Amino acid sequence: MRFIFLTVLTALLVVFLNPVAPFWAVMIGIGLISALLYPNGIGGFMGGGLGMGLTWLGQSIYLGIVTSSPLPDRMGELMGMGTGMTLIGITGVLGFFLGGFSGWTGVLFRKVLQKEPKNIYRG
Amino acid sequence: MKYVSFVLVFAITATLAILVSIPLGQIPPLAPLLDPNHGFWQNSFSEDQLAEEEISLQNLSSPVEVVYDENLIPHIFAQNDADLYRAQGYITAKHRLWQMEFQTMAAAGRISEIVGPMALELDRMTRRKGLAFGAELGLKFLQEKDPETLALVEAYADGVNQYIEQLSDARLPVEYKILNYRPEPWSAYKSLLLLKYMSDMLVGDRDLEYSNLRKILGEVGLNRLYPDFPKDNDPVIEKERVWDFQPLPVSKPDSIPYPDDALTLGNLPQPIEGTGSNNWAVGGSKTKNGKPILANDPHLSLNLPSLWYSMQLSNPEHSVKGATLPGALGVISGFNEHIAWGVTNATRDTRDWYKITFQDDTRKAYKYGAEWKQTDFRIEEIKIKGQQSYLDTVVYTHYGPVVYDRTFKTERQDINFALRWVVHEGSNEQRTFLTMNKAKNHSDYNAALDHYTAPAQNFVFASKSGDIAMRIQGKFPLKWPGQGKFLMDGADPRMEWQGYIPNDQNASTLNPARGFVSSANQHPVDPSYPYYVFDNSFEHYRNRRLNRRLSEMTQITVDDMKALQFDNYNLQAAEALPVMLNLLGTYKAESSEAEKYVKELRAWDFFADPNKKGQTLYSIWFSETAESIWRDLLKNEMPLVRPNSYQTIELMTLFPNDSVFDIKESNVMETAAYHVQAGFDSLLVAMKKWEEEEGDYSWANYKKTTIQHLVPNFKSFSVSNIYTGGASGILNATGSRHGASWRMVVELGDTIQAFGVYPGGQSGNPGSKFYDNFIPVWANGDYLDFNLRTQQTAEGVLFKTILK
Repeated sequence: MRFIFLTVLTALLVVFLNPVAPFWAVMIGIGLISALLYPNGIGGFMGGGLGMGLTWLGQSIYLGIVTSSPLPDRMGELMGMGTGMTLIGITGVLGFFLGGFSGWTGVLFRKVLQKEPKNIYRG
Repeated sequence: MKYVSFVLVFAITATLAILVSIPLGQIPPLAPLLDPNHGFWQNSFSEDQLAEEEISLQNLSSPVEVVYDENLIPHIFAQNDADLYRAQGYITAKHRLWQMEFQTMAAAGRISEIVGPMALELDRMTRRKGLAFGAELGLKFLQEKDPETLALVEAYADGVNQYIEQLSDARLPVEYKILNYRPEPWSAYKSLLLLKYMSDMLVGDRDLEYSNLRKILGEVGLNRLYPDFPKDNDPVIEKERVWDFQPLPVSKPDSIPYPDDALTLGNLPQPIEGTGSNNWAVGGSKTKNGKPILANDPHLSLNLPSLWYSMQLSNPEHSVKGATLPGALGVISGFNEHIAWGVTNATRDTRDWYKITFQDDTRKAYKYGAEWKQTDFRIEEIKIKGQQSYLDTVVYTHYGPVVYDRTFKTERQDINFALRWVVHEGSNEQRTFLTMNKAKNHSDYNAALDHYTAPAQNFVFASKSGDIAMRIQGKFPLKWPGQGKFLMDGADPRMEWQGYIPNDQNASTLNPARGFVSSANQHPVDPSYPYYVFDNSFEHYRNRRLNRRLSEMTQITVDDMKALQFDNYNLQAAEALPVMLNLLGTYKAESSEAEKYVKELRAWDFFADPNKKGQTLYSIWFSETAESIWRDLLKNEMPLVRPNSYQTIELMTLFPNDSVFDIKESNVMETAAYHVQAGFDSLLVAMKKWEEEEGDYSWANYKKTTIQHLVPNFKSFSVSNIYTGGASGILNATGSRHGASWRMVVELGDTIQAFGVYPGGQSGNPGSKFYDNFIPVWANGDYLDFNLRTQQTAEGVLFKTILK
């Protein structure tokens, strides 16, 4: 459940924060959300990763469709990566790793802050 | 444990974030480039999708309206000049910022800052030629003599800078993202630098090559193979023109001691062959509507983003439309409500070299007559991406910079040459265009031209009042016959230029009896012109074809003029091919390939249309033949230039058994026929290879016209293999990398009818649909409607923006 929350919140963060902030600010944001929601490690990684990766993937596909621009293909050729489709994939994968590691870091950060339960019950 | 895993994963995350935000070798920072919100994806939008109704532009005295037509051509309506040019700067930057900055970086010798050490030699050459030095003098000239123009140039710069300040990461031109740098502030100085860059692109000299040729061939041999005037001289200003002025005297020294070293130093890069232009105007007596028609098509390197940017600039005082140069104010080739004008390069040798004799190794003084003159040192700091700056010391003499010295392109310690060039003198070309934009008649046009120095241009003119005119304007040094054709001795004061041809004695004509004026980079005048006129690269074919057609045409319409700009008739082939076929005789008649090609050549109508095979065969055959003829001469291991095609063809036609055709090393006496046959052999070899590898050898497929992005490595931003005809030396001078960079036809009737097109698009963004949308129109010989618009014109509006 937390993993799904994290995915959705990350996606929203990318959609609303990314247009006005660079990618690294989004990464910090994902880390914080992940720390707040506190899923498990895999959940943090996958939630942050899918949230950012799928959003970047979706945004690049969306831009390609609404603009019908030849630029993705031109950039693909220029970078020696074939077509624009490849670049859409690479953008998604890059977003996945940036978001994923941010989410995971957030979870581990929360873990560091978390007090040991034994202190509560055993005084 | 939890601390360890946190630190480890945090470290991985941080390292990943850093790795994708820094450049790795030639790869730009990946995340900023691929981020869909800031990276290149954002450059996918076309301008109409980003239309804004209102934009804030400071320092305007009243709001300015910008109306874009369906081709993204902005029509700027302002209330005064300062607002108009501020808006021009802003709007040009909005669509062409990267290009205008890149071109001025090239002109300033600063490409190494962007691409690294690979551009160092190029930058050193640019600095040593003194383009930046010239622009600094130009700025000083404006500060001292024309603060009014300077204020406008500064308003333009302010417009550009306000755009740069507002620029978000998302809107940053994609080239900056790929090359990983950001725009720096614009300045008045950069606008002036751009005009110097045009001089550099258009002006050449062959002093070094001619000096070597003089040594090899002697004066007589040189004059025979390289005559100052051709037999069929068909000059810019009609031969019948009577020169009704008293020329200034020019005294020629009795004896001329030329520097006689064996000269193997490098040479300045020359304007590339194919750089030229056509312009003409026909008077009302020759047109169907009885109104003058003016046409202009400058031929330059075909690049993207295009060199030209179309605009209409209007204020209550005037309305002008046409082609602008991003970075310069006003319209360069265009028309207003009263007149139209256009430009072609007025090729003439205005760049001379003087041998400098330094007093000693310190190079602080050099010999001049009986005295030693002091030099100046200019330290050029060339910043290099990823490396330490390179410091280049350039010595300046009163002639100009010592381009070649012991540190640059010459191995000999004692060889030093200074460059004398009008570009190194204060001048005010910008004023010419600002005034021309407002001109109402012939005398306004003349007054505008009086400010113009370089690069010299043939300015064609037509007015609504019925005048047509041509004036060759530039600052031309007064020279004695032969002066500056060869390298000169800078220690001898008699070698100095003796002043300049006065503006009112520059060759010009108004309403000549033949009913038209025209220019195509040919000789400016007939030998009767009282001043010495020389250049190595005058045109011999386009001019004759153009004048022949204009003479025989009557009842001329705008469509006729469009067709003439797109005329593919190859006059050189029409003159040379029959001679070559005759000299070929029955050579290789037994080969079926040879028979096929000869048959195609015989059937060819001399039009270089895209589907013609004859043009391909002829162009290979002629160039191989000329190569064979001059191979002996060019064997000398020093820079030389070979006789031009016109002279070569004349020799083949009139003197096929002349000794120039003999190859010295062989035992027999070769004639023109030998070389024509050798050229034919090479043609067979070349065609065999082509047919095996490529197949189709129709002209368009063979010449492969390509419009290249300003960064040649960015191949996918270029457009190649364009199906279009023409070639160098043909009115439609579209070769593989050069051609009509702008075509304009204007009829000056009661309502002005104007058409224009250029091979590119209004947008500098390779992601925009307006980046290359004019190319198919241009390749097909079609035009866009370029009529003047009023603020109220409602049809064909793409969007409107108010600047305030």
